[in-house]
Amino acid sequence: MVDVNTPRTSRAAGYLMLLPAVAVITLLVIVPMVVIARDSFAVSDPLGGNLGGFTLDNYAKLLDPVYAKTLGYSLGMAALNAAVCTVVGYIVAYYIATRPAKTQPVLLVLVIIPFLTDFLVRTFAWITLLGSGGPFISLLRLLGVEAQSLVPSQLAVTLSLLYAFLPVAVFPIYASMRSIDPSLKEAAADLGAGWWQTHARIFVPLSASGLASSVMLTFVPTLGVFVIPVLLGGGKDPLVGNLIVTLFTEFRNEPLGAALSMVVLVLMLLSVAAAGLILRARSGSARAGRSRSPKKASAV
Amino acid sequence: MNKKFLAFGAVALASATVLSACSAGGDASSTGAAGSGSLSIYAWAGEIPDSVIEGFEAETGIDVTVDTFDSNETMISKLAAGNSGYDVVEPSQYAVQLMVERDLIAEIDKSKLEGFDNLAEKFVDPSFDPGNTHSIPWAWGTTGILYNEACTGAEVTGWADMWNPDYAGKVYMLDNMLSAYIAGLQVNGLSATTTDEAEIATATDSLLEQKPLLGGYNSTNYADLVGTGDACIAEAYSGTTAAKAVEANPDVHYIIPEEGGTLWTDSFSIVAGTANEDAAYQWLNYTLRPEVAALVTDDASLASTNAAALELVADQSQVENPAIYAPADSLTNSEFIVDPGDALAYFQDGWTRVRAS
Repeated sequence: MVDVNTPRTSRAAGYLMLLPAVAVITLLVIVPMVVIARDSFAVSDPLGGNLGGFTLDNYAKLLDPVYAKTLGYSLGMAALNAAVCTVVGYIVAYYIATRPAKTQPVLLVLVIIPFLTDFLVRTFAWITLLGSGGPFISLLRLLGVEAQSLVPSQLAVTLSLLYAFLPVAVFPIYASMRSIDPSLKEAAADLGAGWWQTHARIFVPLSASGLASSVMLTFVPTLGVFVIPVLLGGGKDPLVGNLIVTLFTEFRNEPLGAALSMVVLVLMLLSVAAAGLILRARSGSARAGRSRSPKKASAV
Repeated sequence: MNKKFLAFGAVALASATVLSACSAGGDASSTGAAGSGSLSIYAWAGEIPDSVIEGFEAETGIDVTVDTFDSNETMISKLAAGNSGYDVVEPSQYAVQLMVERDLIAEIDKSKLEGFDNLAEKFVDPSFDPGNTHSIPWAWGTTGILYNEACTGAEVTGWADMWNPDYAGKVYMLDNMLSAYIAGLQVNGLSATTTDEAEIATATDSLLEQKPLLGGYNSTNYADLVGTGDACIAEAYSGTTAAKAVEANPDVHYIIPEEGGTLWTDSFSIVAGTANEDAAYQWLNYTLRPEVAALVTDDASLASTNAAALELVADQSQVENPAIYAPADSLTNSEFIVDPGDALAYFQDGWTRVRAS
């Protein structure tokens, strides 16, 4: 990347250095996607085999309203989670970015530390926290409130989704906030802007690329979550991730599962593309876009 | 550079979250090396105690590798992919049927077996594998009801109690299609092994009617929920976790519903085309010994299929625990859940509607 302007030999070397990354992406991303895309048109056999061949039946079956219902619910949950994570992530990122330079790395590491624990263990921890014997319910009972266990509930699902994806929201927002000149805040204050105006007119617009990355990085993976709704939501309202697991395993229908995966994949790509377009339109109209790269969101 | 690092960190975190979510439903896997003097087994998690493996290794000098799975479907798809490297697998009853039809397991040569007579009567010539041509049952259990009497306030006798509105929000069903249909069919007085479209539709209606009463579908930690009283009544598999819940709390009981019971059994089968056939037969013969079979109860809290093993179980309270060994009189009408064949489509259509309702 450094020697873009130097002669051809080093450009060749540049391509060579790119090779490992391209190989990894081809092997781990493109090849599996091609396999899934191929399987989505295959004929299934009732014993669970994949007979190959070509059929559109799998996609036709997905027209059943039950799939639309689950997809709609999943998109809603993903959008809600992306919104909640981005708002909370903004607050956390702003707090960290306004601390002294020395404390910032420490705070960032603290954000990551819980994530060194296994995902499933952390999910079970939420059951304990919000369950009937847990501290939250005990406290409410001490205060004389007749409280029932919060597991299973929509609230428990929302909370643990926020917890699972918060760092993913904090990092890109923090990254774009760091490049905001701190004197802008003083300038805003000098010109009589209050807390709300300072954020709405300076910090939010200037960290827009980070906010957009945060929305994408939380929205897309939430669509694939399947453990949290079962353990904390009681599994009564499956997300599309649960449905795909069921199709692949209990229903012994790899092709149908593959077709549903493709639908989800296309929805994800569309939402990433939409975010990219919005960002490009924004940065075209914004004047202070020098240090920001609007392509980052679409590259994710 | 710092900014790039941060972006990288965010992406890495995102993928780590997704990946760990995947592994939550996964299995441990390190395929053992195939060769002389080795045996690679693919079995249900928690069903082969270490004591059995160590004893076998000490006696035969064969090096055993055990990988575990937590669903038949995972196991079958791994074998179907080919070159799994496994010699012995442990399918459940309906999985035996599927694997026979797909030629994934080999026919067992009875003349090479010793101790086959030790098996209890109901596991000899079972409905899912006539003549035991492809499977030797190892552990068995039932699908029944786990309930907390402090919460229900009354004795629970059958599936009908899982439709009792008094327990609304505290009823849990297993998150498994065929298991849920056991309750749905038997509560209507129908056979759990039916393949009749109208009967399955009746069960679907019952399950739809039940859904508003449910706390949830759960195959993971329902025993804990019943123990704490967060669940009053749950459809449950007998075995380790149910047995522990019954032992730990005197209010928790495990029963076989009066409408009928169902049995499951996990059997050892030899993988078709294995390179270690001799070692596989040595394994089958070793696990047919009563003193070895008794270890599945002592060390894994599961019921043994070996009739001669019962009196050799060191802790006889385990044999009396209904969450491990269901009482014989409750099993008179019990049947094995077998593969529904073409009727699977009726179950799937119904189950999809139930789950999405």
